[in-house]
Order: sequence, then structure tokens, then C-alpha cells
Amino acid sequence: MHVRPRLRYLAVLGLAGFALAAVGVTAAQSKPLAASHSTANTILDGTTDTVTNVDPAGNYDYGSGTVDILVYQHLLDLNAGSTVPAPSLATGCKANASVTVWTCTLRQGVKFSNGDPFTSADVKWSFDRVNKIHDPSGIWGLISNLKSVTTNGDFSVSFHLSTAQSTWPYILATGAGEIVDHKTYPADKLVSNTDVKDLVGTGPYTLSKFTPGQSAVFTPNPNYNGVNGKLANGGLIITYYSKSSTMKLALQQGTIDMAFRDFTPTEYSSLGKTSGVTLYKGKGVGIRYLVLNVKRAPTNKLAVRKALAYLMPRQDIATRVYHGQVIPLYSMPPAGLPGHVNAFGELYGKTPSVAKAKAVLAASHVKTPVALTLWWTPSHYGDASADEFSEMQRALNSSKLFKVTLKSAEWATYSKTLGTQYGAFQLGWFPDYPDAEDYITPFYGTKSNFTSNGYSSKKMDAVIKKEEAAKTSAQRIAFIKQAQMIAAQDAPIIPYWQNTMLVVGRKNVQNIPKTIDLDYLMRFWLLSKS
Amino acid sequence: MATAAVRLQRRTVGVRRALAPIADARGMARAMLWTGAGLTLVFVLLAIFAPILSPYSFDAYQSGGHRFAQLAHPSHSHLLGTTVQSTDVLSRIVWGAQTELEVVGLALAFGLVIGVPLGLLSGYFGGPLDRGAVLFMDAMFAFPPLLLAIVIAFLLGGSVNSGVLVAAFAITVTYVPQYFRVVRNHVISVREEPYVEAARALGAKPFTILRRYVFFNVVQNVPVIATLNAADAVLTLTALGFLGYGVQPSQGAEWGYDVSRAVSDAASGIWWTGLFPGLAIVLLVTGLTLLGEGLNETINPVLRRRRIARVDFAAPSLEPRSEILEP
Amino acid sequence: MNQTGPSLKRYAITRLALVVPMVFILLTLVFLLMRVAPGNPVSASLGGHAPPAVIKAISHQLGYDKPVYVQYGHYLGQIIRGNFGTTISDRRSVGSIILVNGAATLELTFFAMIVAIVVGMLVGLVSGRFRDSPVDTGGRLFGIVVYATPVFFLGLMAQLVFGVWLNWLPTSDQASPITQALLQTHTNIYFIDAIIDGNWSALKDVVEHLILPATTLGIVYGGVFIRLIRVNVIRTLKEDYIEAARARGINERSVVYRHAFRNALVPVITVVGLQLALLLGGAILTETTFNWPGLGHELYVYLQNRDYAAVQGIVVVFALVVVAASIVIDFASAFVDPRVRY
Repeated sequence: MHVRPRLRYLAVLGLAGFALAAVGVTAAQSKPLAASHSTANTILDGTTDTVTNVDPAGNYDYGSGTVDILVYQHLLDLNAGSTVPAPSLATGCKANASVTVWTCTLRQGVKFSNGDPFTSADVKWSFDRVNKIHDPSGIWGLISNLKSVTTNGDFSVSFHLSTAQSTWPYILATGAGEIVDHKTYPADKLVSNTDVKDLVGTGPYTLSKFTPGQSAVFTPNPNYNGVNGKLANGGLIITYYSKSSTMKLALQQGTIDMAFRDFTPTEYSSLGKTSGVTLYKGKGVGIRYLVLNVKRAPTNKLAVRKALAYLMPRQDIATRVYHGQVIPLYSMPPAGLPGHVNAFGELYGKTPSVAKAKAVLAASHVKTPVALTLWWTPSHYGDASADEFSEMQRALNSSKLFKVTLKSAEWATYSKTLGTQYGAFQLGWFPDYPDAEDYITPFYGTKSNFTSNGYSSKKMDAVIKKEEAAKTSAQRIAFIKQAQMIAAQDAPIIPYWQNTMLVVGRKNVQNIPKTIDLDYLMRFWLLSKS
Repeated sequence: MATAAVRLQRRTVGVRRALAPIADARGMARAMLWTGAGLTLVFVLLAIFAPILSPYSFDAYQSGGHRFAQLAHPSHSHLLGTTVQSTDVLSRIVWGAQTELEVVGLALAFGLVIGVPLGLLSGYFGGPLDRGAVLFMDAMFAFPPLLLAIVIAFLLGGSVNSGVLVAAFAITVTYVPQYFRVVRNHVISVREEPYVEAARALGAKPFTILRRYVFFNVVQNVPVIATLNAADAVLTLTALGFLGYGVQPSQGAEWGYDVSRAVSDAASGIWWTGLFPGLAIVLLVTGLTLLGEGLNETINPVLRRRRIARVDFAAPSLEPRSEILEP
Repeated sequence: MNQTGPSLKRYAITRLALVVPMVFILLTLVFLLMRVAPGNPVSASLGGHAPPAVIKAISHQLGYDKPVYVQYGHYLGQIIRGNFGTTISDRRSVGSIILVNGAATLELTFFAMIVAIVVGMLVGLVSGRFRDSPVDTGGRLFGIVVYATPVFFLGLMAQLVFGVWLNWLPTSDQASPITQALLQTHTNIYFIDAIIDGNWSALKDVVEHLILPATTLGIVYGGVFIRLIRVNVIRTLKEDYIEAARARGINERSVVYRHAFRNALVPVITVVGLQLALLLGGAILTETTFNWPGLGHELYVYLQNRDYAAVQGIVVVFALVVVAASIVIDFASAFVDPRVRY
């Protein structure tokens, strides 16, 4: 029996199925840029960062923060070239005598991108909803010290704090202090990333299209007040990449004009040599450190922790693994921030010393080689973590004082475990605000220590408490310095590098150096394109 | 003693009968068989003699106190260049053969040990248990295999420390349904064969029948599937490694991981860190596939003998399924 | 033919009825796999930053500290109501992920499948027709080597050659940033969106972006088709009716091209369905290699964030697509080849 197969019908059916499926998935239609919109002056940026929520109440990550500073402003802002919060939506903020109430006077005549006027009601609304929504990925933790916000007329607000906080102006400049329009943001719910018409702010741009995981399109905000610097371009498109290698190719091919965060060290050094693109570099505030568990063997012995501090191969890691894209770090607050002291450098020397490590171990009768397991995580801190830790292993093993085993766990597991099971492990830190305090309290305070490494010191807790209530900046810095020295003596954490702010741009993008400073903020509006 | 000898003899006869087609293989089948066997053997030898053959250890970054250059071009001292970690590419490939074969060997063993008995029992006894097992295996089959492997690797990664074991388990899970299916379907067709019926009529116990008659009949097809699956398993393992869920770099050299690290080199025009481990994967998988295909053509008589075959969707026998299965 | 009717109907009913327990098993498997894995979305997003007490509090807020069976009941309840939930890491509804990113995967796999079938047919038919000739050897070898090549490796090499050295084609994304910004999305399948809008420059851009990923994925899976089509051609050429046709004096060309090839393609349909599972697996690798915003790519990202809802949703959709495809294919084979009986 021979039957002619009806293949042709089937092919037609297949195509029809594809078309049907296509029609079936009609969803989330978004408005494209206006046809008249010129793309010539639009900056095309690439990043490997991701965006959790554009709504300020729902994010606490760098990728979302980068979007937010384009769309929103703060009462005080970290402007280019300065790490001190400067007047923005507020013309000034002052504390009362006990540093528990901060009162800000607001700028008048400011309008949101949709034309709504900016008043004190928006400020109260913005802060209240961060706490009210209490989003799992939200930044509410930063303003946990805030008891209430009161308005005094349309252009003055007061922040009532539970305990004294001298760093409150910094908090106002973080993502927790981004001001939204109380008319378009619900009090108890986040605005979805794709509802771009409701994501209204006073910043240089408005978000005109957002495709999760793919791209964000920004157009100039006609009502921008210019306080943070003039808008120098005609728009911005950020493309999100999951692999830096594809981003690098796109940059080389000219699909994108620039890229900010993040390439691998090899890629950065290759880009530094590629013609047509420029690698811009400045000091950064991201740090990497090794946490030692003070409750678990063998790092529960101070001598072992000190020996590790003596042996840490900072320079080798910086040059061999990162090709000079990171800088050896000798204290938790990175060099460049007010209050940084060279604590580990002073106590343990700038270069590794096997002899001193040997001596400190011998003095405490520790049997060598000490068996030590170092934990690290493969993808979260970049592929180079693998190289960083084999470098560390090589250095420690070649000293003959340690016998190091490397173990790794993928991030979700790793971040949950930390000091509860690991004896020595890698972590990275990016500050909430560029102040040394943010490198001390979360690590060394008995209550605020998130690493679960068991470190607790009465001396340290006392210093932290004094620092928080300090009246003058000079007093505060003095306590910060004290804390760093105690931290280096006890060595529950060994900092080893600080990053640099690296931006890669093609020749047609100008003014990139203007935004490179210790605030580590990408102020796209300052850039121009020719 | 006598019975043991008889049994041994019977078994060797069985083995010889099973091997006979290999000796008879002609033309293309023969060429494929031997090329495949040759290629596979090369990698097996590399794996076994890695400590002797490899110029350096897979994680060596210096020799005689002299540190290797980073990302060095292929040269005399490093025939295939060095990686970003200053390790020798050639050494990593040689040691990588060991990792790949270890994982794949373990995965196959686990898969066979679990899948074949399950298929035998399920197919022979039938009933609701069989139907349940088929449904479950079909559900597993509906997962894209790589997806399943990723999820399992992810799951075990936190609790099992040996990356090799984790990867082996992850791969096992994806292949058990395949062995199960093939064996079960074959058992069902064999079950009704006259000699099995006869044995049953003579009062042989089910397990005796399974062991004596069904098992040997069914197991003939297993080498083909196993070899082809081994090829596939290498691909799955390297894919896991590429995505970062496989054997971690501190535990051993793994080609997929090396290729993933080479991705950032490639964009900078550094080709040797990615090309060579990639080629190693291609060669090993090609070798295994040729071996499997060659075996398939020699053992599986369908394509040799002239026979009126009918495309039968209703009761898939082993033969059309195994084609579907093979990739 | 009229015998086929009722039995086909019965077959259809059994087949469809079995889908329900199968989907149930799938849902359960995915759920269990995700919950047994250590770590949860909260630790993944806040770990290494927030104090353990905060992580605990939020886990409680989201119900992750409830017994697994309670969470399971809740999960099933939601699914039955058609609610796949919302992601924790970026607050997207899983439904929209499936629509938007699913469209990208559909676009990629559709064109990859075309490439695979074209490559497979060309090489397979020729190989089968000239069995045991050097052409056949070459064709088979091509099929095997191509199949032995990991997608990510081929993709990497394609990027290196066409992106870095020749600079001919874009190596990532579904479209250039400008096109993405300007193109009105109707279906999220850019290829079709561009056609609907009559935006030809966008279409050109979209097609250029499709070439490398679709070809990479397609060629690799073409290897499977080569083997299958070749075997089928060989088998069909031995069938009675081919012999009969020859005996009737129909010339060999006509026998081969009109009769044998067509019939040889029928079983391919079955395999297209079964290959879908593999193809989707390959899509994960292709999508991560080419930054293609499909479901596989999203899955990779969400898995790292331990985003239960997203992973469960995507995995279940993948599995459902495979199940659905196999059913459709079964019916299609019955339709195309009435010899198939159930």
C-alpha cells in the first residue's frame, strides 16, 4: 500500500502554528520612542548588571541604582567630584543638638517629568512607602533608624530618628532617599518596571521603555531642573548582557558606544589595548576580603589569623589575576575615603612575610602546616574568583605553613551559609554610601555583623557607638581610625583589594572622566556623543 | 564444578555469538567501528597515563621555580599555550580526559544499574506498577535532558563535595529513563517469544526466566545505547561545566569549564585556550559516536539484512526507537 | 480508512487523559527539586549584605519557612488557578516571562529547526540515495562530527570568526539597541513585529541578529536529522511499493524523488517532536552564548538567584511544550501517514 504523504499540508500547518503562536503571545505592548526622536545623539551603553526594580522602594542593588539616579533625585545628592552630599531637591539639611532630628528645606519650583509639582508631601510619601512596602529586595534596612517624617508646610520636612545618626545626610543621598511623585506611586505597592508612564521622577531622564533583562530606553526629561549638572545628550539606551564576552564583541563592533560594569580582567586589559576604544580608570570603593571564623578551628586561634595576615599575597593577586585593575587594600575602608588608615600595612607589613608568619605561629605553638579550607563562590564575584583563590592557595602552600584546600559553593548556597559553616571564606562589599562607617559597622558590630563569623568585641562595640553619635566630622573620623586598628589587631577579616572604577567608551563618547570618582556613580547625563 | 564450567562455557559462547558480527563487519560499518574504537582508545590511554603523558600537572603554574607566562602563545615549552591561570593548556586537556571518562563511566554505570533492572522488572511483570513507572519515566523524558542535569547538579552541588560525583549523578538521572524505556520495550516483545513461553510452561520461576532468557537477549542492545549515551554524556558534562555547574576548577581539569573561561579570551583574539579543549570534546564525542554507530550497524541487523520494515508507531520496537534515542 | 476513525479517537482520548497525571508529576518534581536545594531567593539576593536576622524575617514574610507540604499545597492551588506567581528577584509575573521570553525562544528554535531540517534533508537524502559511496561517507561523517560539537563551542568559534575576525555579523542579542528601542512590540517575536510594522530596516537588523545563533543551533541538530533521514531513505528504497514502482517501469529518478524521498520524510516528523526536548536544551546553551533573551537564558539567570517561581514556571513550560509537541506530532503522523494505526 502506498499512500502519498500529506507533507505539504503539514508544512503549512507548521507555519500557521508559528504565526498563531506569535499572535497568541501578544502581550505587554510598549510605546516606542517617538518617531521624531533622533538616535544620533543617543548614548548606547552596555552592562552586565541586572535590574531588580526601578521603583526605589523595591531595590537595593547596583544595577537598579544606576537606573534610579537617572530618573530620580534625592534631597541631597553626591555630585560629580565630591563624596559629600550636596543640596539637590533640598537646599540644605540641619541636625538638632542631639543629632536625632534632621530638618531639610526644599527647593521650590521643581516639577516631576509629568508636570506634577514637587512638595514636602512627595518626600514624606517616598520615605513612608519604602518602610510600608518593606519589599524583600528593598532598601528599607538603611532607614530602619527613621521613626517618622513630618512636613512643616510645603517646603520643609523633618526626619525623626530613633538614635543619633551623624551620617543621615549620606542616607538621604542613597537609593532609600529617592523622591517619587505621590500621585503616581501607590503607598503600599511597587510600580512595575514595565509601567513606565507611572515611573515618574525629577531626574535628568524619563524611562520610556523597559524590557526586563534586555534593555532600558531613556529620553530627556523636559522638566529636569539641572541641579545635578546639565543634560548633555539626547537620550540613553542601556542594553543588558548576561556575559561580558558578548558585551565586549558588541562594543568592538560598535553596536554599543560604551560599557560600564563589568568585564573580566583579561577583557579589560585587552580593551585597554584595542584601538577605537578607551579604558577610563579611577579609584573605586568596592572591596574584596577574606572572612575568618573566630569560633572555628583553625582560625579561632589569633596566631593563625595573624599568620594569614602576614602571608596575604595582595600584590600578586592585583597584578597577576587582575592586571592592575584592583589595588591592594590594607584596611576595610578603601584608600581615598576620609578616615582610611593603613592598618594592616602598619601591623603586618605591605608585603607578605613568611618569616614573621612562622614566628607568630611558633610563638603560639601552632603545629605547621596548618590545614585550612578556603571557601569561594564561582560566578557571583566574577570568573576571576577562581584565579584569585588559586593564587592565594599557591602563596599559602608555598610558605609551607599552611596546607590549603579550596572549596566552592554556588552563590545561593554560599550566601546562606557563610560563617555558620565556613571557616574562611571570600566576600565582596559595595558600600551603601561612600563613607568609612559603612565599612565598619556591618562587619565588626556584635549585632550588625552579617558574616556570622562569631566576632564580637566590647572594645569595638564601644568605639562604634561613639562614632555614630559623633557631633563633628573630625571626631567621627578619629573613632573610625580607632576601629580600623582594633580590627587589624583582632584580624577577624583580612581585606585584600579595592577595585577601580573602569569605564570603556568608544571615541565618540565624551566626558566619561567627569563621572569617575569615589561615589562610583555613572552619571550618564554628563556624557555627550559626537 | 561441572555446572559452573558449563555455565562459563555457555556464557563464552554467548559472548562469542554476540561478538561475531563485529568480526564480520564490512565496509563503512567496519571503518566506523575501528576509527571510533581507535579515537576512544586514545582518550582512554590519555586518561590512564595522564601522570606520565602530561607535561605538567593540570593545576601547575610553575616548573622548577619558574612561573609560567599567562595566556602565552603555543610554543616549545607549552605546545598548546597557557591559560589565564598560567596553567598549561595541553596538560589540562590530558588531565581533562581523565575527568570526562571518570564522570561518564560513573554515570553509565549508575544509569545501567538503575535503568536496566527497572526496565526488566517493569516490562516483564507489567501491571499497574509498570504503568506507573512508564508514566513517571515519560514525565522525566519530557524535561530537556540538559535542564534536568542542571537542576540536579545544582541541587547536589551544595551537599556533595566531589564535583565528579555530582556531575555523574546529574547525568545519570537524565539517562535512566532512556535505558528504562529501551529495555522495557524490548522485554515486552521478548516476553511473548516462544522460548520464554516454553520456559514459563515448564514452570521456571520468573527470576530464572528473566536472568536466563530475557536478560541476555535484551542486554545485547545495551552496548550500543551505552556507547551512544556515553557520547551524549560527554556533551552534557561539558555543557554543565560550561554553565558553571560541573566539576569545579579546583577539583580537576574539565574541558567545558575551560571553554567557558576561554570565552572571554576569544573576544580578545586569544584562540588557543578555547579551540583545543573544544576540539578535544569534538574528538572524544566523535570517537564514541562512531564506535556506537559502528556497533549499531554490526549488531543491529536491520540495516544489513533485506527485510520488509514497516514504520510502526504503535508498539515501538527497540530498533526505530534507538535511532530516535541515539542523539 | 474508516477503521482508523474510532481507534484513533480512542487513542486520542487516552493520550490526552494521560497528560493530566504527567503534568502533575512534572509539577511535583520541579517543586521538590527546587525546595530541596539549599538556599532560597532571599539568601541569594540579600546574603553577603544583610544580617541573618533580616534574611530570616523576609523568608518568613514570604512563607519560605513553612513546612514543604504547606508550600506545595499553596503552589498547586495557584497553578490550578493559572497563576504561576511573580519572581522574587525582579518582580516580573512569570506569565509575562513566558510570553515575552518565550517568544524569543520560539523565534530562535523555529529558525534553528528550519536550518536543521534543511541541512538534514540535503545531506541525509543524498547520503541515503548514494549509500556507501564516498558522498555517503562524507555526509555521515559530517553529521557525526557536527553532532559531536557542543553548541557553545561552535557558537564561540562562530563569534570569533564572524564577529571578531571578519566582523560580518552581530554576535549577540535579538536586535540592535536602536531597533529594540524603536520597534513596536506586537508579538515579541521581532521577526514578525518588524513585518507587521513594515519596518524593513528593522527586519534586516533582526535577520542579521538571527543568523549566527539559529545557524549554530540548527547545524548541530541537523546532525540528528542527517542520520535519521539517511536511514529512512535506505529503508524506504527497499520497500515493496518502491520495488513495485520499479517493476512497473517508472524511471529510477521518479521512483527515488517522487516516492522514496517523500515517504522517507514521514518518520522525521516524529523525531522533530522528540528533538524538541533536545533542541530546547541546546537553546539554553545557545541563548547564553549569544545573549539571546529567551527562556533558557532567563532560566540560567533565575536559577542562580534561586528564584523558585521563575524556575518552576519555565521548567514546567518547557516540559509542557515537549509533551504537547509529542501529542501533536503523534496526531500529525497519523494524519500524514494513514498506515499508522493505534
